[in-house]
Amino acid sequence: MSTATVNGRSVEMPDGDDVLLIDVLRDGLGLTGTKQVCGAGVCGACTVLVGGEAVVSCLMPAKAAAGKTITTVEGLGIDGLHPVQRAFMAQDALQCGFCTPGFIVEAKAFYDEWRAARGVSAPSRDEIGAAFCGHLCRCGAYDNIYRAVADACAGVYDQKAREAPRLEAHDKVTGAAVYTLDIRHERQLEGLILRSPYPRARVVTLDLAPAGALPGVKAAVSLLDAEMRVSFVGEAVAAVAAIDRETAERALAAIVVRYETLPAAIGPEAALAAGAPVLFPKGKGVKHNAGEGGNSPAGWSGNLRGPVSAFSLRRKSAQKTIAAARAAGDPLLVEGVFRTSAQQHNSLEPHVAVARFEGADLTVEVSTQGVSALAAAIARRFKLAPAQVRVLARHVGGGFGSKGALGMETIAAVTLAKAAGAPVRVAYSRHEELSVAGYRPAVNLKLALLPSRDGAVKALSLTAWSDAGVAANNTVAGLARLIYTAQAKELVDYDVLSDLPPGSPFRGPGGPPMAFALEQGIDEAARRIGMDPLLMRKRMDNNPARAKLYDWAMGLDVWKSRGAPPGQGRYRRGVGAAAGYWLYLWQTDTKAELAVSNGRLVASLAVQDIGTGTRTIIAETLAREFGLDAADIEVRLGDSRLPPGPGSGGSRVTASIVPALLDAANRLKSRVQGAAKRAPAPGSNAPWREWLAASPDLAVTGGRPEDDRRNIYGHGSLLHEAGIVGRIFGFMLRRNQKMSAGAGAPSSVQVVEVEIDTWLARVRVVRAWSGISVGKLASAPLARNQAAGAFIQSLGHALYEAREVDPHSGHVLSVNLDDYRTPGIADMPPLDVHFEESGFDHVPGGSVGIGEVAAVPTPAAIANAIRDALGVRPHEIPIRPDRLLALMKEAVHDAR
Amino acid sequence: MTPVDPVAAEFRAGGTDLSERRRSGVSRGAVLDIEAPAGMVQEPTGGLRIGALTRIAALAADSGIARDYPALAAAAAALATPQIRRVATLGGNIAQRNRCWYFRNPYIACLKKGGEGCPAREGNALYTVAFDTAPCVAPHPSTLATALIACDARLDTNQRRDVPIIEALGDGRCSTAEIALAPGELIAAVVLPAPIAGERAAYKRAVGRAHAEWPLVELVVSVTIEAGVFTRLRLVAGGVAPTPLRLPAAEAAASGQPTSADTIAAAAAAALAGANPLPQARYKLDLLHGLVRDLLETVSQRG
Repeated sequence: MSTATVNGRSVEMPDGDDVLLIDVLRDGLGLTGTKQVCGAGVCGACTVLVGGEAVVSCLMPAKAAAGKTITTVEGLGIDGLHPVQRAFMAQDALQCGFCTPGFIVEAKAFYDEWRAARGVSAPSRDEIGAAFCGHLCRCGAYDNIYRAVADACAGVYDQKAREAPRLEAHDKVTGAAVYTLDIRHERQLEGLILRSPYPRARVVTLDLAPAGALPGVKAAVSLLDAEMRVSFVGEAVAAVAAIDRETAERALAAIVVRYETLPAAIGPEAALAAGAPVLFPKGKGVKHNAGEGGNSPAGWSGNLRGPVSAFSLRRKSAQKTIAAARAAGDPLLVEGVFRTSAQQHNSLEPHVAVARFEGADLTVEVSTQGVSALAAAIARRFKLAPAQVRVLARHVGGGFGSKGALGMETIAAVTLAKAAGAPVRVAYSRHEELSVAGYRPAVNLKLALLPSRDGAVKALSLTAWSDAGVAANNTVAGLARLIYTAQAKELVDYDVLSDLPPGSPFRGPGGPPMAFALEQGIDEAARRIGMDPLLMRKRMDNNPARAKLYDWAMGLDVWKSRGAPPGQGRYRRGVGAAAGYWLYLWQTDTKAELAVSNGRLVASLAVQDIGTGTRTIIAETLAREFGLDAADIEVRLGDSRLPPGPGSGGSRVTASIVPALLDAANRLKSRVQGAAKRAPAPGSNAPWREWLAASPDLAVTGGRPEDDRRNIYGHGSLLHEAGIVGRIFGFMLRRNQKMSAGAGAPSSVQVVEVEIDTWLARVRVVRAWSGISVGKLASAPLARNQAAGAFIQSLGHALYEAREVDPHSGHVLSVNLDDYRTPGIADMPPLDVHFEESGFDHVPGGSVGIGEVAAVPTPAAIANAIRDALGVRPHEIPIRPDRLLALMKEAVHDAR
Repeated sequence: MTPVDPVAAEFRAGGTDLSERRRSGVSRGAVLDIEAPAGMVQEPTGGLRIGALTRIAALAADSGIARDYPALAAAAAALATPQIRRVATLGGNIAQRNRCWYFRNPYIACLKKGGEGCPAREGNALYTVAFDTAPCVAPHPSTLATALIACDARLDTNQRRDVPIIEALGDGRCSTAEIALAPGELIAAVVLPAPIAGERAAYKRAVGRAHAEWPLVELVVSVTIEAGVFTRLRLVAGGVAPTPLRLPAAEAAASGQPTSADTIAAAAAAALAGANPLPQARYKLDLLHGLVRDLLETVSQRG
């Protein structure tokens, strides 16, 4: 065994062939600031300095590091923060923070090299883009990372720090933030899941004994239900817990399983083919929900669920109008078939849970989007009293919709912990993350839209077929009811079920696919009637907040100067726009506890911060209310024992917690004024600081009051615009899920400019503008960061990201970050974000959520820009080089 | 699911490819860590001998290579990511395994893992070859090999000396590697011939994103131009065949011709001669065509 120096300390480097540097750092030395994500040297989250050079520790054999000097993110801040750490904090160059240590380490090396070669000056965007191309940020904080690196090199942070807009930024730039993946309890075991190699089978024999008999194996359990069936490759069969990963891997291999394979249908085409096996007769046995709503009733025909058409408006009239226009050859009738591919959430922190029992009491640390709801779900599943289950999530490395429900990682961890009598961690590999941990369903859409000459819509027909494997209940077409007026709308949703892993909710479920078809239909209709597409939207849109966004977008220079005919040169430019909305939802049972403790304000809510900035929003809201600094306030969250709060989904956190906090603040103020030993000095410029200092310890709980009935939208809830069906849906949502859909809609209008290299078939978004209406900003810098992150994530969906499957075996093929292509820093265009802050004055605090709406219009806006550049319209995303080439051949064909 | 059976012992240099395959379970045989000289030595012939363990970042940063072997310098600077280039070696890049998603998936059997058939051929062939000349349809992964063919490089191994690289790479039919070395044979050094006066070279890859993506198609062009006429040409494409593919028909179409748009168009068309892609990979021909135009224009316009 030889040694190396790690952060100034001499440590032993094991010389086993398969011990990697990252294992020594994380498992051996507890330096968990170094994150393992892709395990393939693509994402850079594990970057450390070896001999001063930034390298990926996930691929470096430990013995290759022998004799070297190694610095991890924890080693950078020893003598105070490095300028790049200060820069990342001040520029909010992070969200969930899981990629941040890797970026910081690379930035430190880059800064040193830059300074040595170029002195105190700012590198260009291109230079930063090339230098950081070995790092991926899934939240999409790239815009701020550019600024942070450039400013740090230019000396802005050499002398001193500036205030950080994000409360926990310091912990995230130093590697101190502990995520579920980093937790290691005494006696903690490693759990692994055995998965089905077949797309459809019955398990005839499952013999766990040989695995359980191996030394070091502490538990081996079945994860099958009574039917003993598997219905996709990768479905969980059994799990083991062992003293380390290698032992657990050996245990998995020792399990004896005999399968009786059954005829399978892989993918929607096979599932709809004549003679296809019926996977879930009349829907019996469907376990997975691809959408966010409750299961609405629907018919079944073989593997087809639907039609669900309740959100239609004068459906028959729409059918007739379109059929007549088609028969008459009406040139204004826009028709098209569109396809959006499945998109992986690919949170950098994988699905991971650490479960431990103390007597009958269960504590589960989970990377989750909803500590409150998850604790209840675990109690139900394992038949425990709610008080016996505690869920903790201190820092969460991204979610995007995939961590909203009770997942198999948690079920396995709890089951194993119970069987082993010891804490068990189950952490998904990137392969599992990209195959069986959920994805935005792929959707086929058929659109027909008939405009009138003056820019109204006579009839709209949109039918969607969702492809979410064994999951059902995706709503796509129905969402078109709640934006734009039309004389008649036929909106129909189907699910096509097949033997593939289940899809799940993803940031604005159904929204981007719906917009991809509808917003292109409107763009095309506007072209045919010769009207500005944004003006046409404004005319048929009754939402006053969006009207302001259309005016803003129409005023942009890039929009006013668009419209040159497609050129014939190698590079072609185009400009496109699209709009989108999301529901304004809030959680009715939200509670916020506010306490004074030793003169300090303490806020407690069972919410979680998945990178969206919830901690900061709590602190900022209270800071404004009490005239304090955000850093003065202690925020306690990520614990299901705290007063119940909303899950981080449906963009409902801000609109739920801010009103509850304001309510609690009012209650606390009167309690403090009654109980304080003395009143502030007259004319004090910080009266509440003095009130709190003079207050005894006390606590109050606030609730989420109803909104003001008066608003600018003329409805009590956006759902009322869908008539009686919308009212029933709203009633059920409130009764069953304690969610209220309020008045108005978070909205976004985006404009993008693209440049297409017709020789190498590449689309580059040159610049983009995102106009957003979500009311007053609870934290302006964080809102901007969210908007930019949503944009680049949706740009990835539009141009690069494709979940690919083997059509014969049912294996997912895009299971690593080379083959599942998410945007890098150099793919982020300069983005202008414009906020229209009016429109939500009926909400206490005036703010609603931004997370989803900012992602909805992007693929459609990019597609419309490509149409503008090439003269032909893309119908399928991602618009990869192969698809762009096919499209350009269409253009040549059309020109002839 | 349990991983399919592994193959035999493998050499390890920087480990950037092998570590990933060992973590996933695709490779589970013995590991032989190698020690061989890094660094560069001038040859008596005027050429350059580069040790196999020379880091790719060192190649990319070397001013002598940039001056004398511009194709190699450009290729070295464009591949992978900065972190990988700091660790990965010249020899490792040439001998790395292919990127096929069937090969890389530990739960799927394939020809290159000792299995029977090629699942990509009948399955999802999006990233397969455009020149289908071997049982396996995975393109050769080495960007540096592509550039080295354009440089007329030779390899020294622990068993042989002075092997033309194109010969060492073989025909792509080897079932356990993407290079035709004997069992136990290890690349020791790359030997470049004396620099060519007036060489102009360029490298580019066709990809979706800006950086850090395995090429759909990549191309190295090395030419000399005298009095406005292409004299010596090397066009070598990667991403399209089981080995890096020299494009003799394209070279012939431009050789001795003026550096005009017509010549370039003729070379681009000729580059596709003999292509026989699976239907899903047809798009690669358009990308190859575009790259030939792009790079021949680039080198023609440079003073």
